Amino acid sequence: MANELRFLVVDDFSTMRRIVRNLLKESGYTEADEAEDGVAALQKLRNSNFDFVVSDINMPNMNGFQLLMEIKKDEKLKHIPVLMVTAEARKEDIVLAAQQGAAGYIVKPFTKATLEDKVSLILTKMGLK
Amino acid sequence: MQSINPTPAVSIAVPPDIHQSIGMLTRQLHDSLNGLGLTDKVKGWAGELPDAKSRLSYIARLTGEAAEKVLNRVDQAKAQHDHIAAETRRIGVLIVKDPVAAVAKGHVMNFLTDVEQSTKQIDQHLTEIMMAQDFHDLTGQVIAKVVNLAANIEEQLLQLLIQTAPADAVVKASAPTAEYQPALAGPVVTPAGNPDVVTGQSEVDDLLASLGF
Repeated sequence: MANELRFLVVDDFSTMRRIVRNLLKESGYTEADEAEDGVAALQKLRNSNFDFVVSDINMPNMNGFQLLMEIKKDEKLKHIPVLMVTAEARKEDIVLAAQQGAAGYIVKPFTKATLEDKVSLILTKMGLK
Repeated sequence: MQSINPTPAVSIAVPPDIHQSIGMLTRQLHDSLNGLGLTDKVKGWAGELPDAKSRLSYIARLTGEAAEKVLNRVDQAKAQHDHIAAETRRIGVLIVKDPVAAVAKGHVMNFLTDVEQSTKQIDQHLTEIMMAQDFHDLTGQVIAKVVNLAANIEEQLLQLLIQTAPADAVVKASAPTAEYQPALAGPVVTPAGNPDVVTGQSEVDDLLASLGF
């Protein structure tokens, strides 16, 4: 089941998108696409099927909080878990993300084990694993 | 080669009107800043410059740590790679010499186990090398903030120059840039002693758990 899940990795830094995609691949999640900001992510989410979003917060055009809000108010998208992976380490940002419906929050720099654990935990909670 | 004359000593007599001129210029600058409502902004820059300094130190530290990590991991991976290469040559000699004995005595099986373990460790090193590249994202965000600060100061100084230039002087102003909006804080460069930020993933998990998430 896990291998069939489709991930969308959203980050304005291509290096980070590549790192997250590679880590997901190493964990057995081979189906992943990427977007450079919230606007591009939303477009991809509306035009294709995804099961999981891993998103940065600090991005141009549409940041991660705005993307999260858009996803959660869209009837067709709101079921998709969103894991925030960000350098924003303020407690108020973490609380805000949780209140807005983020499924998890990881602060950069992070380890492979952290990403693996959070994804696995969220998928288990969602009954997708 | 022509020698360079030393800078004249300060004690050389300075015409008294120079002091007066400098005083007038300072007063003019002060009045102009006040008139343009820039005094608060100048105070703001003064406050932000030490922050820019700590941000640049953060970049230097992060890039240094990443380079160190990569080089250490490369050293370890290369050592393991050399080990596999040497073992391959050794087992090759044993197989050529007596293939049956090489298998029967367990040399081949031991070699295969060894290769599997080494490749697993090399893979871990490669993953760590990949993870070390996250400095690009973190330092990129910090660099963007410092560049924004510099652009902001430049724009305000240019505005000051235009507004205070003599009437007959022609000053070409560049197109105004978008207003700096520090909406998100970005990476925390000095987390020590700051109760408003978390310093690691365990604190994030604890905070979310305390909120029932």
